[in-house]
Amino acid sequence: MGAAPASRDVTSYGMGLAAPLALFFLLFFVAPLLQLLWLSLHNDTAGLHWGLGQYLHFLTDPFSLGVLGSTLLLGAEVTAVCLVLGFPIAWLYQRVGPKLQTIIILIVLLPLLTSVVVRTFAWIVILGRQGIINATLQSLGVIDTPLKLLYTQFGVVIALAQVQMPLMTLPLITALGRIDPNLDDASCSLGAGSWRTFFRIVLPLSLPGVIAGCTLTYAAAITAFITQSLVGGGQMLFMPMYLYQQASTLQNWPFAAAISIIFLLAVLAVVSVFTTLGRMSRGYGGA
Amino acid sequence: MIMNRRSLLTTALTLGAMKAFPGLSYAQARPLVFATFTGSWEEAHKAVLVPAFRKANADAAMVLDPMLSVDQIAKVNAAKANPPIDVMLHDPGPALVAIGQDLVEPYPVEKSAYYKDLIAEAQEPMGPAPFFQVVGLTYNPEAVKTPPTSWADLWKPEFKGRVGITNLNSTLGTGWLVEIAKMRGGSEANVDPGFKALEELKPNLAAVAANPGALATLFQQGQIDISPGNFNAIQILKARGVPVEFVAPKEGAIAFKTTIHIVKNSPNRELAFKLIEAALTPEVQTTLMNPPYLIVPTNSKVTMGGEIARVLAKDTAELKQKFVFQDWKKINEQRSAWIERFNREIKI
Repeated sequence: MGAAPASRDVTSYGMGLAAPLALFFLLFFVAPLLQLLWLSLHNDTAGLHWGLGQYLHFLTDPFSLGVLGSTLLLGAEVTAVCLVLGFPIAWLYQRVGPKLQTIIILIVLLPLLTSVVVRTFAWIVILGRQGIINATLQSLGVIDTPLKLLYTQFGVVIALAQVQMPLMTLPLITALGRIDPNLDDASCSLGAGSWRTFFRIVLPLSLPGVIAGCTLTYAAAITAFITQSLVGGGQMLFMPMYLYQQASTLQNWPFAAAISIIFLLAVLAVVSVFTTLGRMSRGYGGA
Repeated sequence: MIMNRRSLLTTALTLGAMKAFPGLSYAQARPLVFATFTGSWEEAHKAVLVPAFRKANADAAMVLDPMLSVDQIAKVNAAKANPPIDVMLHDPGPALVAIGQDLVEPYPVEKSAYYKDLIAEAQEPMGPAPFFQVVGLTYNPEAVKTPPTSWADLWKPEFKGRVGITNLNSTLGTGWLVEIAKMRGGSEANVDPGFKALEELKPNLAAVAANPGALATLFQQGQIDISPGNFNAIQILKARGVPVEFVAPKEGAIAFKTTIHIVKNSPNRELAFKLIEAALTPEVQTTLMNPPYLIVPTNSKVTMGGEIARVLAKDTAELKQKFVFQDWKKINEQRSAWIERFNREIKI
């Protein structure tokens, strides 16, 4: 192959390079998704009669809607915990020396280096009746009988927050790193206090990172089948387990497919709320 | 088992190629594929059943492809005319689904040398049961000083907040609920009394595990002291030093038939039959009965020994007397409704 013609615009790229990945996605993502949609539009488990029965069943059933609601709420709680705990770490990272930076990044990345299953089992050990938390509180005399932490919503939120924390912290570190430190100084020299500087300068400018982090954490938290079922137990039903139950135990594939599609749309809706907020924030940041 | 890297690679490549190009697989083109269950089942079959089969059949090629029952059904369903699996292994619920969807062949009973030796409950013409799974009471002997004797003991006030169960996703959970219903005057067709009993059990419930495996680990954490449990799973935990004991309740231990089936349109029909025959032999069943496997045999010619003789039954007669078999055809009819009801009602 010869050199590209000199007249060619160097800022434009051919789409050819993306073709292999596009083809891969088309085959292994879009096609199965369409199959799922096709399956969900059948009223019987054998997939012979067309209809919207599965969707009607889900959307008119308070129990199913409750499962969807509690799953979306779980995601919101985990995202909030990650944001509140993750932001200070990311902020700190930008203000310490290189040695501490290495330590912080190591701590942030450490959870990613072990498998989710291992991390979740560690949480079972921590939250159990004879776990670290209960043993410590009991030896300090704070409580007499062990607290019930495992198999509770609180346990699931805490475990998921730790498991998904890197997904929040890493985008935040990147976003905060892009902010010119001079802006802080300028704000202070113009008379703004540190809180005002934070809310008017740092937070708005870091919003792209916040949005990215929230989207990633949210999506990961609501679909975390392993952590949800191991820490939450069998009586706390979230969408992934509901789906598994219908498909795997009951062989009701069309209903399971409808659940997936509804879940997918609900998640897309939440993500698009995040993106809209991000777009609006740009105007706010510029103001 | 002799299986070097090269033969493994060849098999893997062959299987992979057949996946990619289904037209390649004509009769006998691929080794016999046995879809066993994952975990301890796979270990036991790899160590005992496969070598026995190969020894009896001139080293015929075969592979284990461990997967859940539902995955077996889904895979065979996706390619009914040319199934990627020759022999399936099922719990009672999924077995009926597979038979109902016309995925299995009747077992050639008249050709079989061992079928007639199986105890009556294991003689299933659509696929015999080479093994039983047994569910009884599991408890932590360090916390529970007097061993429980009945399912009813789970309701004792002394076990407040100490009882674990699983939800109805598992065979264990569903079978146990049916047994509880029977204890209170219900049946496979009427589990209402069982749900009422569950309601009364709530103060005692410490955990509803998502699956039997997760339930077993709760003993390790001291989260629960007593629960319904699978005999095999408990023996594995016990061997690892966890303080657990298994006892058959006086109402009878629940026995699930694990059945083995020849897949319809299998290109390896004859070898599939031979593999199942191997699983029914007294030799294989005896080896699998001994530690570390402790799988309950179904061939009446097997002399019960070890832990199984001590805890469960000394011989076939006692086994029949102590085991309870359930009507899974009836159970399957309403299982989805029960799962839905369990989802809604059991919140602790």
